[in-house]
Amino acid sequence: MEKNYIKVSALNQYIKLLLDDNSFLHKIYLKGEISNFKNHMSGHLYFTLKDEESRVSAIMFKNNTYELKFTPEDGKKVLIEGRVSCYPAQGTYQIYVEKMEEDGLGNLYILYEELKRKLEKEGLFDARYKKEIPKYPRRIGIVTAPSGAAIRDILSTIKRRYPICETILFPALVQGKSAAPDIVKQINKAQNYPLDLLIVGRGGGSIEDLWAFNEESVARAIFDSQIPIISAVGHEIDYTISDFVADLRAPTPTGAAELSVPTMLEVQNLIDQCNIRIKNSLKKKIEFEEQHLKKLKESYLLQNPNMIYEAKIQKLDYITEEINHWFEKYLENKKNKLMQLETSYVLKNPLFIYQNKQEKIINYQNICSHHMDRILEKYQHQLNFTINTLKLVNPLNILEKGYSILKKDENIIKTSKDLKINDMICVKLREGSIKAIVKEVNHE
Amino acid sequence: MNRTFESALQELEKIVKELESGNIELEKAIEQYTEAMKLVKFCSEKLNHASESVTQILKENGELANFEIKEEEKE
Repeated sequence: MEKNYIKVSALNQYIKLLLDDNSFLHKIYLKGEISNFKNHMSGHLYFTLKDEESRVSAIMFKNNTYELKFTPEDGKKVLIEGRVSCYPAQGTYQIYVEKMEEDGLGNLYILYEELKRKLEKEGLFDARYKKEIPKYPRRIGIVTAPSGAAIRDILSTIKRRYPICETILFPALVQGKSAAPDIVKQINKAQNYPLDLLIVGRGGGSIEDLWAFNEESVARAIFDSQIPIISAVGHEIDYTISDFVADLRAPTPTGAAELSVPTMLEVQNLIDQCNIRIKNSLKKKIEFEEQHLKKLKESYLLQNPNMIYEAKIQKLDYITEEINHWFEKYLENKKNKLMQLETSYVLKNPLFIYQNKQEKIINYQNICSHHMDRILEKYQHQLNFTINTLKLVNPLNILEKGYSILKKDENIIKTSKDLKINDMICVKLREGSIKAIVKEVNHE
Repeated sequence: MNRTFESALQELEKIVKELESGNIELEKAIEQYTEAMKLVKFCSEKLNHASESVTQILKENGELANFEIKEEEKE
């Protein structure tokens, strides 16, 4: 069999056809890490996508790069959407990247949602904590990067609308790891200046670029600020945690500047309006008072001044009459009472009072002596009874009946056992006593 | 008179409200009116003679310095 040699280019073309024909390779989702990154003058991006074991070449054409939300660089982990084809000139196959985003952002979204829920629960977003944005701020503080679109937009907008407003820039990093502490530091420093308003923000960017404004420390610094804060982060669609905490949220730095100050024309109109309204109000007031005065002047009473005292005279008469009437009645009453007293029986017979008392005294005397007699009688009776009782128990009464009392050495002898033969005893009789000697003792 | 444009403006708006409410004595109203006319004059003069305020920047050492956007940073 004759060998049919083909050209290299034909092989590569064939391989390219094979790859291009495979519908699976038309749309492929790939993840890996960027290396050998090159940003070509033409604007196309060339790099290698690799994992632990393999690598593949990748190219991203300029027209696809506009929608990139991050800056690709070596070592970044990415998620890629594209197609696979062959580059015949090199004989390599490669991935043509159409879309590319950073891998690992899923975690950031979770963090964002968690922090949002937490702070919301704590009440940091509550409307009642929102401070009023002053209408005519004299001095505005701006916490943002000292270079870049954000500060330029804010300053140019303020100067265009309301050039008399002073501005102080508190420069802060707004991207990267140091951004959050830097923003917090500058918000806190701003508290020491007499500012009517603070604008805190930066221009748009990827979720990673804006991340400082999703940090808890920044959110709390905004919440704690004594100065009202307008947040101005990113573009309209990006809501950061800072936006929720701020007293007012602006979609862009320019928007924040517009919300912060009126235009000179608005203010001039306001002054003119005030001027007109004040003049009108005063004119109205004066007219009203004039009318009022006129009405008063025309009033019947002022036209007929005698009306004022006519009524009073009548009232005086009425009162006088009332008093007289009352006084007459009073006198009559007293007179009647006096007459009654004069005619009373007691006054006419003063002895009656005396006699009455005399009788009462005698009566009392009788009652007293009666009671006294009764008491004496009672005691006499008791006394007699006691005397009789005493008589009954008197030992001498026993002698009266013929008994005698036997004593030895002044002791009364009641039994023969107390005596012996020849004891000297004394016998007390009703009349007189004798001394005797015991001749015999018999115990029976 | 140590008043600022902003406070004058606020005072002016207050007087308008008070006068328009009508619950004010005539003497007081005239007093307020006189004051308001002074405020209008003051504000208008401030506004017409307003020069552009400078922007300052807080430096690391805590001092304020004048701040200008550098030309080359403009697109």
